[in-house]
Amino acid sequence: MDYKPGDEADFERLYRTSYNRVLGTLMGVLGDRAAAEDCTQEAFVRAYRTWKDWRGDAPAEAWVHRIAINTAISHQRYERMREVGQVLRRIGRPTPPPDPASLAERSDLFKALRKLPPKQAAAIVLRHHHGYTNREIGAALGVPERTVASRLAAAKENLRRALGHEPKSGPQIEVGTFSEDSVPCD
Amino acid sequence: MSDFDREIERELNRILGPVDSASIPAWRTPASGGFMKRLLGGTGAAIAAKLATGFAVAALAAAGAGVMTEVATTGSLNPNVWGQQVKQTVATCKTTLRASGVRGIGPCVSAFAKQHGEQVSDSHQASNARNGHGKGQNNSNGHGQPSDKTHGKPSTVPPSH
Repeated sequence: MDYKPGDEADFERLYRTSYNRVLGTLMGVLGDRAAAEDCTQEAFVRAYRTWKDWRGDAPAEAWVHRIAINTAISHQRYERMREVGQVLRRIGRPTPPPDPASLAERSDLFKALRKLPPKQAAAIVLRHHHGYTNREIGAALGVPERTVASRLAAAKENLRRALGHEPKSGPQIEVGTFSEDSVPCD
Repeated sequence: MSDFDREIERELNRILGPVDSASIPAWRTPASGGFMKRLLGGTGAAIAAKLATGFAVAALAAAGAGVMTEVATTGSLNPNVWGQQVKQTVATCKTTLRASGVRGIGPCVSAFAKQHGEQVSDSHQASNARNGHGKGQNNSNGHGQPSDKTHGKPSTVPPSH
């Protein structure tokens, strides 16, 4: 699709065509629909403010994805800090029950995705749900196209381990939090 | 494509499929914030509010101090009494002067202003001494002088002949 940087109508078109896909990617990264919606809205506001500076060297939707993923990463960092504070405040009190509304929160795959580094989780959703090419994924993650394949392989390997899809002979590894370095990818 | 890839896609589709076709919230163009708008709308507004509050508090304090001074010098809480005192003093002075052949109220007003200035000055000095601010003689500047234009000319004084 052709977009003109800075054009209001084109931005609205971009918003309409890519909102749900960006939301889906952020649900994969954050594992929480409400947080994903907040970050998606925030990402589009940020994108709007820099829309006139969009160069067109990357597809517009991948560019919005990049902004959205960075927004989600910032959100995750903030949430982790907040969770520590909440845990400290909650000591000695009963734990509130989990919100049953969100399907993503109950899905093993989404639980596992949440344990991955955000960019690996995003790469999985972009490739296996949105069908993005390596070039588009590279633009969305802010990495060179040639490193996308190895990053995807690393993400899948971490996911396989998190879900217990090890080869039959291998040991079952408990779900933990992976770092970008869990599996070499670049 | 491996079984694992297919499994991922199936699960992603199960969770994100409904999201793909969900209704999209209407786009609302964010308010564009220029430099002045940001300045006035953010920190600037907070500073302006603080300044306005500071001025209001200072004005109130000054008015309060003035009232306290007048109350101290006239011994009354009623502002009308303060003007009445000036009127009476000048009238008495005028009668006395007239009896001795001098016309006009200029000397009477000057005399009252001087007396009033000294009282106010004394009051300020006492107040500053109480508050530990010291240098009362500097604060009396302009109050004890007969030529002070801000004192000794009450509007209730009848016109001179």
